[in-house]
Amino acid sequence: MLSPLILIQILWTSLATSSCFVLFALAFALVLKVNRIFNFAQAAVMTTAFYAAYTVVGLASGPGWAGLLAGVAGAVAMSAVLELFGFRALRRRQASSMFVFIFTLIVSELISYVAMLIYGTWPATIFPSLFWPVTLVGTIAVSQWDLMALGGTAVVLAATFAFLRWSRTGQSMTAVADNPDLAEFYGIARDRVFLAAMLLSGLIAGFSMFLYGTRAQVQPGSAIELLLFAVAATIIGGIGNLAGAVVAAFVLAIIQNGSVLFIPSEWQGFLLYAFLFLAIVLFPRGVRLPQRKRLVRRTPAPALGPAES
Amino acid sequence: MPGHPDARRSFALTRRAALGGLGMIGVGGLARGARAEQEPLRFGLAMPLTGGQATYGQDQVRAAQWGLDAVNAADGVNGRKLAAIVLDTQADAQTGIQAVNRLVSVEKVPVFVTAWSEVVKAVAPIANDGKIVELSVGANSPEIARLGDYVYTTFPLADVDITAVAEYSATKLGKKRAAVLYINNETGITAAQVYRDTFTKAGGQIVAYEAYDPKATDWTGQILKVRLATPDIIHIQGLVADTPQLIAQLRQLGLTQPISSYSAVYNPKLIQQLGAAANGVIATSLAPGTEDSPAVKAYVERWQKEVGRPPNGLPYTQYLYDAPFLVAAVLKSLDSAKKPITGENFRAEMLGIRSFDLPLTGKLVINPNHTVKKPVYLMEVKNGAWSELAVVS
Repeated sequence: MLSPLILIQILWTSLATSSCFVLFALAFALVLKVNRIFNFAQAAVMTTAFYAAYTVVGLASGPGWAGLLAGVAGAVAMSAVLELFGFRALRRRQASSMFVFIFTLIVSELISYVAMLIYGTWPATIFPSLFWPVTLVGTIAVSQWDLMALGGTAVVLAATFAFLRWSRTGQSMTAVADNPDLAEFYGIARDRVFLAAMLLSGLIAGFSMFLYGTRAQVQPGSAIELLLFAVAATIIGGIGNLAGAVVAAFVLAIIQNGSVLFIPSEWQGFLLYAFLFLAIVLFPRGVRLPQRKRLVRRTPAPALGPAES
Repeated sequence: MPGHPDARRSFALTRRAALGGLGMIGVGGLARGARAEQEPLRFGLAMPLTGGQATYGQDQVRAAQWGLDAVNAADGVNGRKLAAIVLDTQADAQTGIQAVNRLVSVEKVPVFVTAWSEVVKAVAPIANDGKIVELSVGANSPEIARLGDYVYTTFPLADVDITAVAEYSATKLGKKRAAVLYINNETGITAAQVYRDTFTKAGGQIVAYEAYDPKATDWTGQILKVRLATPDIIHIQGLVADTPQLIAQLRQLGLTQPISSYSAVYNPKLIQQLGAAANGVIATSLAPGTEDSPAVKAYVERWQKEVGRPPNGLPYTQYLYDAPFLVAAVLKSLDSAKKPITGENFRAEMLGIRSFDLPLTGKLVINPNHTVKKPVYLMEVKNGAWSELAVVS
């Protein structure tokens, strides 16, 4: 049963299919880190992205790149609306974080219903065909979608972390995430940073939802379910830890897929919630690898008294 | 000839006969008119008009309304109009209970039509306590046959088509080793068991039996286990949202065996989504299609003409279209026998008639064990199109 070829196939396919979830988790973790919002309205952003792309490609028979642009533009626009007319207004009214959280839940359901009224409940895909050509590498099946998804995800991850590390806006996001009041004291406009984080999150969510919708069928309520995985990965990866969320999403997907080789398949769905439960109970700050001890040069304390002769 | 006395007599007789005939027609017409002007006979129609399932529910109500119009255009119930009281269930148990309570307590209908397994189950005690007939039209949980004396279905329950496809695979297609992939929820678990038991009983062997999570989007682990088991045929018991993607992944991972499933995958979209990978997929249909019946063809053309699209869930709407015909047939029989129209009498009369010829779904036989007997149409994708493989009676 456990031949290396089977393990390699599972590893490869899990890596590819988890790529969308990795980006969902990154988008969610970013807003949680910078804006400090459990943004379940990301499901609304994802729904908007999918149906914008579906309208252009699936309904209007436009090219794929136009669908990608429409999806990303839709997601970014929805994120901007959420920040400018939702979160910003709630901040000004000093709404509690619980109130903001409930607001995000309502928005996700609202957009789901709007999508249902416009597009119906029948599952849809961005391209008419779900089937992607496959190449055998040895005996490992590698589909074109796998390559596109992994390549796209690698580019988005690299660009996001580079943006956060080296761009002025990215550094401002890190500063606001660490201490919003201190950041404002140093002249960083918090509202602009919050908006930038929402837009970046929307861009990532829009791209990943486009990827997802080119492989799987989507219904108006699908995004809410997809987001649960992102939330689990964010919590397990450690709140405020973007790289942790990314790694957790990859690992969770691989464990879930590979688990059926070791346990009855009926238990597969249970695993995610079991991990989440254990992570919250045992690692409330996220699962962190032990840090290497820093080398500290010990220097003798200077003598405070007069030197003895 | 007009000048001949006999001819005159003949004319007079003819005129008298004609006047008498006209009088009779007039009296009959007046009587019929009086019946038509009577308060219409009513039945309940509790369906999801809002909420997540409204897309299907609204189309089904439209189909039932068209069926009702056709019944009334053809003399109604012995000249009396038939009307439906339509209430919203949102496909939700609580809302369904409110709607059916109103139908039973306020509207006092002898029979009501409803659908969606959750609602059908939730309102069954109301039907049984009130001795009102509940007709489930579209829900397919096998439990429906065990919900009580007043709950009947006009739609074949899940085990009918799964049994047919399992038996056909083992006996007619000669498949000896089957793998089963099923969604781990109410839809998949029971039906997968039915397939497993039937296939085994028919002499086959189940070589892999794998569940998958309802939220799954990747099935690599299960598929590789199936691949190792080297089955002759793979049966998928999933949902319309995940089955096409699962089939795509099976084909991508090199499994070329025939794949069977059930009515959920029988739609043209599957071929569009999978292209050549759809070849060899076998599905079931519980109602005749446009190729089988001119009436169904005309019905689908009417949808295109009046609504601009085919109905969501065509077979289900066919059953809803036929529901008023069944209700009218029972009421006609009661009316002819001059029996009071009550739920108890409706039930007794319906079971007495048992067999109904319905316009869009064909012959329906209601069994005493609360199931129905209907032919199962096995459809197969060949050369990029659905074609009829067999009809299992």
